[in-house]
Amino acid sequence: MEESPLHPFELHNYVPINLGGLDISINKAVIMMWVVVAVVTFLMIKAGSARQLVPGKVQSLAEILVDFIRNMILDTMGKDGMKFFPLIATLFLFILFCNWLGLIPGTYTVTSQIIVTGVFAGAIYVLSLALGFALHGMKFLGILVPPGTPGWMLPLMVPIEIISQLARPVSLAVRLFANMTAGHTILAVLFGMVVSLPFYVSWLPFAGTLFVNTLEVCLIAPIQAYIFTILTCVYLGDAVTLHGHSEHAH
Amino acid sequence: MPQFESQFFSTLIFWEVVSFAILFFVLYKFAFPGILSILEEREKKIKDSLDQAERHRSEAERRLKEYEAKLSMAAKEAEGILAAAKERAQRLFDENEQRLSAEAERIKGEATREIEHERRKAVQDIRNQTTELALMVAEKVVQRSLTEADQRKFADDALEALSKSYQR
Repeated sequence: MEESPLHPFELHNYVPINLGGLDISINKAVIMMWVVVAVVTFLMIKAGSARQLVPGKVQSLAEILVDFIRNMILDTMGKDGMKFFPLIATLFLFILFCNWLGLIPGTYTVTSQIIVTGVFAGAIYVLSLALGFALHGMKFLGILVPPGTPGWMLPLMVPIEIISQLARPVSLAVRLFANMTAGHTILAVLFGMVVSLPFYVSWLPFAGTLFVNTLEVCLIAPIQAYIFTILTCVYLGDAVTLHGHSEHAH
Repeated sequence: MPQFESQFFSTLIFWEVVSFAILFFVLYKFAFPGILSILEEREKKIKDSLDQAERHRSEAERRLKEYEAKLSMAAKEAEGILAAAKERAQRLFDENEQRLSAEAERIKGEATREIEHERRKAVQDIRNQTTELALMVAEKVVQRSLTEADQRKFADDALEALSKSYQR
């Protein structure tokens, strides 16, 4: 094999740009972000402006997505959670289309960059903390004490809960990044075999790439976007209601 | 791993934040209100339709019950009418029978009386004619030998005997 299976994750700056000492050069990942923004915008604007009671194809797809997100929020956060709808819906659509469009051969999967998932996860976690302290003041520290904990257990429970809390953004970021990276690495390995093996056996890994790609498109990409979003709902919901919902383990 | 090459971090973070902000703003401003409102509108319409269907159903059920009650009432009424008619027919029949048998009885009695009367009359007639006939015969036979008183006595005897034999 001439190429490393991690080759698809490599970036090269096409247009070097420097904004006051900040490097904001254009590369493949940046272009893919723009494409995702364009596709999601087109889909949603078209659906939002059609407003047919009996929807067409694009409107149906957009409405299925929006309804899905809405139910997710209503299930985890209740009716009050709907004020987070624009944020959570944008997050879900952005991640979902990053995952999906990245599966088109020759494109780039933005969510396979740990820094991208890390920024999302960190921002969501900081937001949940800010929201918690803004709504509950210092009482929000009670999130470190699960309801019903006896007093003598506190020295044990509080450190465990602190670790659990700190693990939230890390696990959120790593889960998405690792799943995307793993899927594309498998695809790269299988496709490397297609190229390097003699033609009479190369159909086997080729069938494998088709299978894995289908699996990624139909299951992994939407499921990872779903998990990322529903955990966001849970964290924000915890911050809003404080013990209103049970703790969710990772 | 290429993802840990920190030289790309700044550009990725910058463009991620910018892209997300743009997407958030555009969707928040132009897409979500329309989609959410149409979803709610449709939900409301479906709910209304279901409610209406439910209303119609209960209304239909109510009507059905009403009709069933009416029907059973009508059936009862018909039964009553039939029973009354039967009773009346029976009564008429009985009355007629009574009347006819009484009539027949009366006619029979009348006929019996008539027959009796005719019989008596006939007997009387026969008796009279026989008496006359006997008288005539006796007169002719014993005209000269007997006195009138004898003649009458003989005639009476003969008549007596005759009438006895007849009555027997």
